[in-house]
Amino acid sequence: MISRRALEIVTAALTGIFGVAVVVSSIDNGIGWSSAGVDAGTFPFLTGTIVVLGSLYNLAQGALGRSTLASVTVAVTRSELGRLAGLFVPAAIFVAAIPILGMYVASAGYVFAVLALPKRQSVLHAIVIAVVTPVALYVVFERLFQVSLPHGALAGALGY
Amino acid sequence: MENLESLLHGFTIAVTVPHLALMVVGVLLGILVGVLPGLGAPNGVSLLLPLTFGMQPVSAIILLSSMYWGALFGGSVTSILFNIPGEPSSVATTFDGYPMARDGRPTTALATAFGSAAFGALVGVILITFLASWVAQVALAFGPAEYFAVYFLAFASFVGMGGSAPIKTVVALAIGFAIAAIGIDTVSGSVRLTMGVDELVKGVSFVVAVMGLFGIGELLIAVEEEFQARAVSSKVEWREVFRALGQLPRHSVALLRSAAIGCWMGITPGGPTAASFMSYGIAKRFSRNGHRFGTGEVEGIIAPETADHAAGTSALLPMLSLGIPGSATAAVMMGGLMIWGLNPGPMLFVDQKDFVWGLIASMYVGNIVAVVLVLLTVPVFAALMRIPFVVIAPLIVIICAVGAYSVSNSYLDVVLMLGFGIVGYLFKKLYYPLAPLVLAIVIGDKAEDAFRQSMLMSKGSLGIFFENRLVTSLVVAGMALLLLPLALQILRLWRGPGEAAQEKARII
Repeated sequence: MISRRALEIVTAALTGIFGVAVVVSSIDNGIGWSSAGVDAGTFPFLTGTIVVLGSLYNLAQGALGRSTLASVTVAVTRSELGRLAGLFVPAAIFVAAIPILGMYVASAGYVFAVLALPKRQSVLHAIVIAVVTPVALYVVFERLFQVSLPHGALAGALGY
Repeated sequence: MENLESLLHGFTIAVTVPHLALMVVGVLLGILVGVLPGLGAPNGVSLLLPLTFGMQPVSAIILLSSMYWGALFGGSVTSILFNIPGEPSSVATTFDGYPMARDGRPTTALATAFGSAAFGALVGVILITFLASWVAQVALAFGPAEYFAVYFLAFASFVGMGGSAPIKTVVALAIGFAIAAIGIDTVSGSVRLTMGVDELVKGVSFVVAVMGLFGIGELLIAVEEEFQARAVSSKVEWREVFRALGQLPRHSVALLRSAAIGCWMGITPGGPTAASFMSYGIAKRFSRNGHRFGTGEVEGIIAPETADHAAGTSALLPMLSLGIPGSATAAVMMGGLMIWGLNPGPMLFVDQKDFVWGLIASMYVGNIVAVVLVLLTVPVFAALMRIPFVVIAPLIVIICAVGAYSVSNSYLDVVLMLGFGIVGYLFKKLYYPLAPLVLAIVIGDKAEDAFRQSMLMSKGSLGIFFENRLVTSLVVAGMALLLLPLALQILRLWRGPGEAAQEKARII
């Protein structure tokens, strides 16, 4: 279970860290005014500073429980968290597998795993959808619009 | 009259067999992404973008804008039949649309929604026809300082009128600007904000951000809520359609008021979502039947639908004439314009007359095509909703991955897209607005260039933003909008906490 307060704080911290990274990195580019005009780092430096300041404000508001709809104390329940992970973890594994297996094999495996393993669909159904998906991708992208999708190390090893 | 002549010329471009076919394809794809949860107009348009690179710009924009109209209509279909808004901008349609459909009048609800939507769109297009070239003419005289002031005004209006917590809007905007700055700086040629990742030199495309923020983010929200599609009958009775459309003129006050709200919110970048909510709220307060809102009242459908489409259409006005998109989807289209080698802004009306007027004419035709198609295909798309979500979800993930990859054939983009998905989920969950983030990514570079050019002209003095009456009033208006939330808060504190709570209850 994740409380709304925790979620507000984590999000504000994430945006704040991003802001600090932007500020630090833009100082390398030089900030201020030089003979060539406004230095390259100035604008990112300003936006980074705004992000940091805004995140601090949001962090304080979140910690004090003063943000919008603060009366909703629970942001994500345990079962909701389970469903979120159920969608996101396989998706992340799918993305991680793309460079190795290529888009086509990875997407077929992904669809099959998500549908057949938790027994949400019959195995036959899952196989049909898992085969049709990459074929449709191939026809639409590689054939119709000539956009090449990653074939992966596997296809390379097999000599394609 | 010059406008009408140009418009007629535009019709000769838009009403050709290939372009009509593109409209049909665009509208159907649009309804599809509008109906599917997790895929919306911004995603749909960005997905299609890489496929338009080989097309004529005018054909490409007709395809993309038709998709936008289709998505706006598709979102209403699921709102009314399933109580599931397919698009954020059709949330307000569920309030009265679903109760009416549940009471056994789905056809009336759908026809009322489509009829008023078409009216809203028509008002928006008429506004563009007569106003866009005039605005562009004024804007031709703009220098970099004026441009920066207009950008500033656009961003300030998000903060002042967006409806989200103002500081959250500011953070979202600033993050967008920082993302836009990643990669090679166009002025000095130096590499910025890559954090040591060489592949980031090419920058982060807005398409990648949109796929993650709106695609994966929305999907995570949807799976968390675990909705069930309980459909009411999706049969369309044609006699009922014409009867419902015939009833619409009786509500002309509501129609006109909602269209005006929609156009205003579309031009000042409030966007369709804010427009539909605002219009519903105002209609509830001023309608004779206001107390019956929420139980299936006709005006409760008319108000959000008219405003939604009026805003969606008129969001293209500032995009065409100033180069500032009025909604997230318009921002994606504008990104497309830049990829096709066009320069959005007033010069379009001088250099690319065929493109501009072809697009405007296609908006008239495209909306008619959309109304007819959506009525014809309601049963088909309603059947689509019976496909279990567990099947649709992985397919949408794959589509988003492919969409992110195909922008520049980079695997890093797919990983970034997934990261944006988490950000999108967190932001949506905590009411950080996403539209300003996308907008800032698309036009961040242009805003920065305008700022740096004006600084060069003034040799580093901010005084250039107060040099003449035009630029001063733009900057002052922007400042006022920025400070508006603060002023409201002080007013509320001053009035006392009891009344403040009441106020909040009324807004919700």
